[in-house]
Amino acid sequence: MTTVECSRRLHDLQRDSIANSAAAHDNDCEATLEGQHITCSYNGHAVVQDLCLAVRRREVLGLIGPNGAGKTTVLRAMARLLRPTHGTVLLDGRSMWQMSSRRVAQHLALAPQADPGALPLTVEQAVVLGRAPHRGWFLPLAAKDRLAVERALARTGLLPLRDRPVSQLSGGEQRRVVLARALAQEPDILLLDEPTAYLDLKYQTETLELVRNLAHKDGLTVVITLHDLNQAALCADRLALLADGRLLGVGTPATVLVPDLLAEAYRVPVTVANHPIYNTPMVVPLFSRV
Amino acid sequence: MNRQRYLVFVLALLVLLIVAMLISLGVGSVHLTPAQVLAALSPEAHGAVGATERTIIWSLRLPRLLLAAIIGAGLAAAGAAFQGLFRNPLADPYVVGASGGAALGATLAITAGLRVTGAGLGPVPLAAFVGALAAVAIVYTIAQVGGMASAITLLLAGAALSTVLSALVTLVMSVQNRDLHEVFAWILGGLSGRSWPHLAAVWLYITGGSLILWLFSRPLDALSMGEETAQTLGLPLSQARGVIVAGATITTAACVAAGGTIGFIGLIAPHVARLFVGANHARLIPVSALLGALLLILADDAARTMMAPLEIPVGVMTALFGGPFFLYLLKTRQRELGGWR
Repeated sequence: MTTVECSRRLHDLQRDSIANSAAAHDNDCEATLEGQHITCSYNGHAVVQDLCLAVRRREVLGLIGPNGAGKTTVLRAMARLLRPTHGTVLLDGRSMWQMSSRRVAQHLALAPQADPGALPLTVEQAVVLGRAPHRGWFLPLAAKDRLAVERALARTGLLPLRDRPVSQLSGGEQRRVVLARALAQEPDILLLDEPTAYLDLKYQTETLELVRNLAHKDGLTVVITLHDLNQAALCADRLALLADGRLLGVGTPATVLVPDLLAEAYRVPVTVANHPIYNTPMVVPLFSRV
Repeated sequence: MNRQRYLVFVLALLVLLIVAMLISLGVGSVHLTPAQVLAALSPEAHGAVGATERTIIWSLRLPRLLLAAIIGAGLAAAGAAFQGLFRNPLADPYVVGASGGAALGATLAITAGLRVTGAGLGPVPLAAFVGALAAVAIVYTIAQVGGMASAITLLLAGAALSTVLSALVTLVMSVQNRDLHEVFAWILGGLSGRSWPHLAAVWLYITGGSLILWLFSRPLDALSMGEETAQTLGLPLSQARGVIVAGATITTAACVAAGGTIGFIGLIAPHVARLFVGANHARLIPVSALLGALLLILADDAARTMMAPLEIPVGVMTALFGGPFFLYLLKTRQRELGGWR
């Protein structure tokens, strides 16, 4: 896809989404994080191809798509973990590869899917690391840093667990530690990779609610990958549907979660109903034979 | 463990270390009570002990004791740092090739009858020191090639080079069998006959290297959460890794130069320390160092006295007692030791 085509397609998609979006934020279209024609390859094999994606300030942008579509790769590229072979990612208009990793970390935090913390640090010690981009690697924490750590622990419900070794926590509690560390970074932009994986219904719901509050009340910009399309519909302001490393659609849940697009992405027939309470799209897969 | 309890714990460990030192100074062919040891240590002449005792303490036992303490501390600090850096409970100070390089250097120096001295070190310690530094430098360079430098490639390159180096040591030993005993004794590690010059030559490297590691506690904490996580927290990965490897290697090389390749201390001291104070490196490194010092002092006591007048290489003692002790910990404290995922 050429540059012109790419941006035109993006433009169309965005125009659609704005036109269709009831919840579109008033005049808040300024992009804070923008992937420009990014191509990411592992061992010469392109996993993400010429992808353009602009994240708007204070929105929750959901990345959805089948396994291997490139969701995590896009997130890693946006987190400055993976350098795109072509294209770049702009953070507040500047290529993040021209900024130091510490500078990026002062504005942007990633809560990865698998955090392999091998050594049994306590919850608090793990969350304290989130202050490193601000405080540096050598100085003891200042009062401001302590406050940020306390707030992050409180918001994720980890205060009672603060002195427990991370290795002794349940999978769900460990997910919350990762989120708390990202919050302790006090980022403007939060990237979350499958934050609800391994959580039970209560914590899934709480996490998604927290994510929405972070964006709409605290003013963070959130990019989140989710497998559950119905959760994505409830949680995200806009969705980006990926398949085979390309963008199939960007827009409000109502514009993206449509049977045609979903069938093309997931290669399974679906029907889309209305959520009985929130009126968001509800995706139901159809069996080929019942 | 809160801050206050941690400080009390460190203080208790220090007291224990000092008591162990006083007792150790009295142990040997000439037995001295702690009171006599104190009298012999005091600067002005004392009625309670004679000149012989003073000489035994000042020129034989004290320098050897201090050397054991500082080597034990250095190996433990380096071991703790490598375990954190590689996120691997099996890592020890020798994991990136320091022991192999030191052994080859020492073997060549012994068999070739090398006479070069430098940095306050005799020919064999100097060769060991240089060998250790060179081996790690080679491993580090190889691991950087292709831009895929990661902790894992470093670990694998270290394992591969160690194998090659130990094969070379065996080769030299089988071709040149005149000095076998000396080479063996050196490889097993021992403090027999070590005195002030050895201490004077290595203490700065060991304390300096260990302090660098302590200073890098927060980066080590971040690295122990995984390299990617450390990177998203803004840690310049390769620089931080380089400094940590350099600090641990200078420490290890100096330890090995003075005491040979003493095994096990650098592996178990950090594990025991972690049982008490957790994995936070700001606490783990000092406590590991204190425990390492204590363990090597006790091991050297045993090495000096168990089959006196014959001396057993202290590396044999650390393995002989450290191994079963570690197995006992594994059996009883499996949950805490197995906190690694």
